Formats: sequence, C-alpha cells, structure tokens
Amino acid sequence: MKKQLLAASLLFSAMTSFGAGYELNLQGLRQLAMGGTGAAWPWDASTIYYNPGGLARLKGIQAYAAVDFIMPRVAYGNYNGQTGISRQQTFTPFNFYVGGPLQENSRFALGLGIYTAAGIGLDWNDHDNWSGRYLVESINLNATFIQPTISYRVNDLISVGAGFIYATGSFDLTNALPVGKDDTSGQAHLHGTANGVGFNLGVQLKPSDRLQIGLTYRSQVNMNLSGGTATFTVPTSLSTSFPNTTFETRLPLPQVATIGIGIRPIDNLTLQFDLNYTGWNSYDSLKINFATQTSALQNMHAPRHYKNTLTPRLGGCYKISKVVSVMAGAAYDPTPVPNGYVSPDLPDADRIILSCGVTVKPLPRFTVIAAFEGTLGMKRNGSYDYGQFSGTYQTQAATPGIGVYYNF
Amino acid sequence: MRRIYIIGSLALLFASCKPSVNITTAPVAGNADFSNYLAIGNSLTAGYTDGSLTVSGQLNSYPERLFEQFSMVQGVHGAKGPFIQPLLVSDNGYPGPKYVLGMTYNPCIPADSSLGPISYPNWIMNPSDVTYTSPSNNGQINNIAVPGIRVADYDVAGYGNYPAFVNANPYAARFYHNAGTASPLDELQYRVGNLYPTFFTMWLGANDVLGYATAGGVGDGTGAALPFPGTNIYNTNSITPYDKFDSLYDKALNVAISTGAGGALINIPDITNIPFFTTVPANGLILTRQGQADTLNARWGLSKIFQVGANYFIIQDNNGIRQAVPGELILLTTPQSNFTCLGWGSTVAIPQQYVLTTDEIQNIRRATASFNSFIQYEATRHNLAYVDMNKYLSTITTGVTYNGIKYTAEFVTGGAFSLDGIHLTQRGYAMVANQVIAAINAKYNSTVPSIDVNKYHGINFP
Repeated sequence: MKKQLLAASLLFSAMTSFGAGYELNLQGLRQLAMGGTGAAWPWDASTIYYNPGGLARLKGIQAYAAVDFIMPRVAYGNYNGQTGISRQQTFTPFNFYVGGPLQENSRFALGLGIYTAAGIGLDWNDHDNWSGRYLVESINLNATFIQPTISYRVNDLISVGAGFIYATGSFDLTNALPVGKDDTSGQAHLHGTANGVGFNLGVQLKPSDRLQIGLTYRSQVNMNLSGGTATFTVPTSLSTSFPNTTFETRLPLPQVATIGIGIRPIDNLTLQFDLNYTGWNSYDSLKINFATQTSALQNMHAPRHYKNTLTPRLGGCYKISKVVSVMAGAAYDPTPVPNGYVSPDLPDADRIILSCGVTVKPLPRFTVIAAFEGTLGMKRNGSYDYGQFSGTYQTQAATPGIGVYYNF
Repeated sequence: MRRIYIIGSLALLFASCKPSVNITTAPVAGNADFSNYLAIGNSLTAGYTDGSLTVSGQLNSYPERLFEQFSMVQGVHGAKGPFIQPLLVSDNGYPGPKYVLGMTYNPCIPADSSLGPISYPNWIMNPSDVTYTSPSNNGQINNIAVPGIRVADYDVAGYGNYPAFVNANPYAARFYHNAGTASPLDELQYRVGNLYPTFFTMWLGANDVLGYATAGGVGDGTGAALPFPGTNIYNTNSITPYDKFDSLYDKALNVAISTGAGGALINIPDITNIPFFTTVPANGLILTRQGQADTLNARWGLSKIFQVGANYFIIQDNNGIRQAVPGELILLTTPQSNFTCLGWGSTVAIPQQYVLTTDEIQNIRRATASFNSFIQYEATRHNLAYVDMNKYLSTITTGVTYNGIKYTAEFVTGGAFSLDGIHLTQRGYAMVANQVIAAINAKYNSTVPSIDVNKYHGINFP
C-alpha cells in the first residue's frame, strides 16, 4: 500500500522555457542604426537577410562581418516586496555575409549569409532566493541561420531573390524542483541542440534613384530539438522518480512579412520606413516530452498563445562626406506576449527602440560600421497564469555593434 | 572616429545603470491595530507538523508568519514584538517523536519496501521541554495555542494538570499560568489581562469534529453527546454537542474581545478532504487474477461482488460486516501491513475504528457546517474578519498553483500537508497565513503584505 501512497504524482507546473520576443533584429549594423529598417534599400551584403531581392543590385562581390554585444538586464518586483535581478551578461550575435553579382553587370547574384537569428539569455541572481526559481533559474537559447541565396535582376525596376535557411541552435534551461532537503531545492537542467529549415524571399523595386521599395517574406522555422539531455539533482530517495533522461521539444521561429519604402529626397539623405508583420501566433504552446516518464516526471505542456505583431520602423542615413555617413532611427516593437502569459524566462514588453550609428570608409573598398541600439521604457506589470506568478518587470538592453565590409 | 568614441561611451552609460523595480508601498494598519497580537487556537495554531510539536514547527507557525508581516506595518499600529511562543528546546517531537520520511518494509514481503513516514528514530525526551517559562519579565506569551484542545475543553478546570488529571493536556501543562486548576477560559482571561492584546486570531473547533473522525466515528456523532456522568467533560471520540460548542466559543470570544481588540475568526476545514482520510482509497483492493475474485466471492457469498481490478474493501460498521461503498473513507493510520499480512479488507473486515462510513461522514460535515455557521455569525456580530479556511483548503484538494509549484492535498507529494496527513507543512502554514492576511486586509482596510510561501520548507526528502 505504501507504494501506492507515493505513486501520487509530483505535479509541478515548472519547467517552462523559452520566452517571448526571442527573435533578434540585429542582422545588419547599418539597418540596426536606422531603427531596423532595410527591406527597400540594398546597402550592402546584409541585404541577404533584409531582402534577398536586393543582392543583384550590389556593384560586385562583397564580404561583410559584424558582431553585436547585447547586454540585457531584467529586474523584477512584486507588491509583497520580493525582488530579483538578472545577472549581467554579454551576448555576441554575429553576422557574416558574402555575395553579390558574379561579374560586373551580371543579372545573377549569389550569396551566403551566416547570422544569429534568434536568442535569449537570462540568469536570475541568487537562485535559492529568487521567487521565480521553480519556473526558471537561467535560460539560454540561440539560433544561427545559414542561408545560401540567389538573386536575379529582372530589369532596372525589378529584382528578386530567394534563400534557403538551415538553422542550428542550442537550448539550455535550469529551474528548481519542489523536492528538497532542508533549504536545498532540487534542480532540473535541460540542454540540447536544435535545427530546422526555412526560406527567405524578397522582391526589390527601384522605380527611380530616389525611391526604392522592398517586399520580403521569411518563412517560419521550426527548431526541432530531440535527444536533449535532462539532468535532475534531487534527494537520493527520489532518484528513481527523476531519472536522468532525454527530451524533445519544438520552438517555432515566426514567419515575417515586411514592406519597406526608401526615399532619397536630397542627394545625401536617405529615409527608410519598414513595417514587419510577425506571425507569433504559431507559438501557441510549449511542449517538452521526456523519453522516460515516471509518476513524478511528466511531459510538460504550457500554453503560450502569442499574438501576431505589427512593428513600424523608421530610419535615416545622412552622408556627411565621401568618407563618413551617420544614421539614426527608431521603432516601436509591440510584444507578442498577451497578459497572462508573461513568464520570467523572458518577460517581454512593448519596446521603444532608439538607435544610431556611423560608417567610415577609410579606403575606397573598405568600410567600418558602428551602431548602437537602446531600448527604453520596457516596464511591464504582468502575470503568468499557468505558473501563478506575477509581478512587474523592467527590461533594459543596450546593444553596441561593430563591423566591416570589403568590396572585391 | 570620434563619433565611434561617442557611441562607445553611450553604450557604457546604458550598461552601467541597472534596472530595478520597487512597486511596494509602506504597509498600513488601516482600522486595525497590530501592536499587541495574541494567537488562540489548537495544533494548527501551535505549528504542529509531522505528527508532533517541534521547535522548528513552532518557529514556522502561521501566527509567527503573521507577526512578521504585522511588523512590517509602520507606525504605532504595527506589531512591535517580541512575539513570544512557548518554544520547545528540542526538535525531535514532544511529547512523542515526529515523523520523518524513511524506508518502510512489509513484514510479510520483505522485498516490498517503500518510502513513507516513520517515527523519528533518534527521538529522546528532553526533560526541559516538560515546562516552559517565558523569557519576559511579566511572563508574556503571545501564542497560547494548545495542540488537541477542543472548544468543548474550554471550561474544563485543571486542563493543564498533567499527568495527575486524566483529561489534562501535556501541552497546556507546559505553559498554563495556573496549570493545576485553571480551565482554558481562565488561561485565556489571564493572558488577555497580561498582554492586553490589540489584535487576535482565533482558530478553534477543528478538534471538536476531528477526534470523532480519527477514531473512525466510533463515538457519538449526533451533535447531542452527553458528558461523562457527573462532569462537564466529553469523550474525545465524540462530536462536541452543538449547543455546548456555541456557548463555549462565545465565552472564549467574549474574553478575547474584552480589551476592544480587533481580530480574525478562522473557520473549521472540511477534514474529510485531508490526506489522512483520502490517501487509502476505499476501493483499494486490487485483484489481478480471476481466481482471487472467485475465492472472495465464495468466502463472502452473493451479497459482495469481487472482480479482477479495483474492488471496495470489506469493512465493519455498526451493523456488521459489509463491502465499502463509494465515498467512504479509510484512515491513514490503518496498519498498512495488515492489508497484505492479515487480509484486511479482503478476507477479514477492516475494523470500524479505521473506517468512516457514509453516515459518519455526514455527521462530520453536518457538525462542521453548524460550527462554521456559528463562527461566521460571531464574526459578523462582533465585526471581526472571517477567514473561510474551509473553502480555501478545499481548493488545495484540486490543486493551487503558487509561483510555479502546484500544491495539492496528495499525501507526501502534495507539498501542503505534512507527514501526519492532517497538519500542514511550513509552506502550508504560510499559505494559511496569506489567507488570514487577505481576510484581515479586506476587513480592516489594511495593506499587510502577503508571504513568499516558497521561502519555507515543504516535505523533507532524504
């Protein structure tokens, strides 16, 4: 009979995972500096990401490399006086592009992009006292896209392009388990690698030298994770209830449709406007399935129900001289996370993004770009109903980036 | 290149100011005055857990939690302390050992071992725990809860005269001011005069039904039981008579409010929902072979039907031997090995002191409803906060999620109930405190903050 007594399951709602807004819009520094705009104007080889249709507009083959330094920090507080703050960390998403028309005046262009497309990282300070520890102690997720791309210039007006995306990424999550001894909680650690495929399409229109238009569509990429390792640190008497095992899960990186308009009212000034429609609603739930299940260790199924978002972006570039240009921009990036689903693994909020940057061309074929993006006012009072956890979050992210490109 | 430098320094500026969230406001007392808090109650108020009283249980009682929160209230109406509980010295359990989780072995099937509650093996009696002296000069005690006390005991003189008086209580003997002769009402009167409380909580009445229930309903459950001849003392196996409950509860309450104190009255949980009664299923007789079913059918005749799968146990009730019916409850204290070693529930009926029958459950529910309606009436009449703990603890039966943990009324694994299946864990008591705080805040327009339940211990797994 006693066996039966303990057969009751240790149902805990913990082990949620990926947060919201894990998409990164850091695939080109010039675009970053202009509020994230870039579908209309093929500035450089990063158009492989922003609009593959623009690749055939480049003057020749270009190699492009950049790195960003994201320093996100989240603070938490609730009405009962519990607080928390995430540990200071620096993440370094990167971009590498090479491509362009195969020879001068060729209508065909080929390219390859390797870039960080998505990622979050959050590690709450003082795990043992962090009141959200049964939901998340730390999380780290990233996805890198490898995108071979082909582009064709139909005529002076229309240029089209397409890229195939192979995505590879990793996933790491720890949270506390409510089975402990004295002051020590148990801990679950999930770790694995994921991959997926998708595509990136673009049409670039150039009615005149002063007006360009971009239409792009990037497909959803389902990051499938199987054979991840699940490791449990629990009291000895529960070791058979929490066997170390493998798990599988799936994370959708959402589809995005973008329309972009670029105008050049005067010779030295370019203005860009982009509108992104992001299909977050495909992220309706998170499921983690364990290969070995016990009465205590059950598959997890957490509702997400994210909402599609519409993000307007605005940016400008002013060419001061043949050597130096400066950029600035702003965007309003609404959160896909509805109230009731704001979880502490990434408590997303509406973002106001301000950015700026500069390009310097010390040599005729060589350009250095630096950019900076800051997000402001991201304070959100939200609840995560599934885990009955609520509070106010303030997120702060500062992202400087630096890169170079070379025209062959 | 100078501009790059500017961008670099801007980045540093952003990185150096770290975000923080502080949305709390200073808690206020509203119309309450928490400066002198007195806790009145039974084992649930004393911090009893894992089948005994321990010093760590006392230090994590819900009154201790309430005092800590009341202390956060600023100004003259916040709690000042000290908050003095009659603390034990030992953490082993008093007067008997607490339960801990350990391996248990089935004496008939030695290979059949499992993790379950066992008596703390290193228990020894600490002589200094027998009596308690307050460290305060005037003998101040703020938590006068006595495990086991009933409302029915409140007029029993010599309630602390243990062990000389057979109906005395060893916990009352530890700290009662006049243990030899005082009744609990006398003690309450003394404490109120000594402490002059401005605020109190009173959680009494659970034992007025629990004794009947844990005895398997063998006592008088009618609500009209008679005292032992020539005394005012009632058998602990019986449900306290309704009129006796009402009159003594009212007397105790009138003493508690005699200083003009505000307070909260906490009602009686539905004890038929707690793990002590719900862990062993009434249909826990699992047959795996048709031969077993045939044997039992032959043994008991046509009136009882057995088949492969789950079957209702054979039990004894007041009228004889029969098969249990859905909804009936088997007590957690039923010796587990007797199911397999002695054929309890299959070839031998489970004795009636381990079974709550449908009638007995109805007696418990009827009495609980009657007592609770009186408690609510008193709260309304005296303009006190009323805490519907019955309703709240019932929600734990279906599961209450708190900051990522789902608490249930499952034995051992549910997290809220301790290893005795009746009393709560530290976390369970913190959840209780949060309910009391919510009721107080609603009644007194105070803003006492609630407690981070998960800061405290749940079940301790070896």
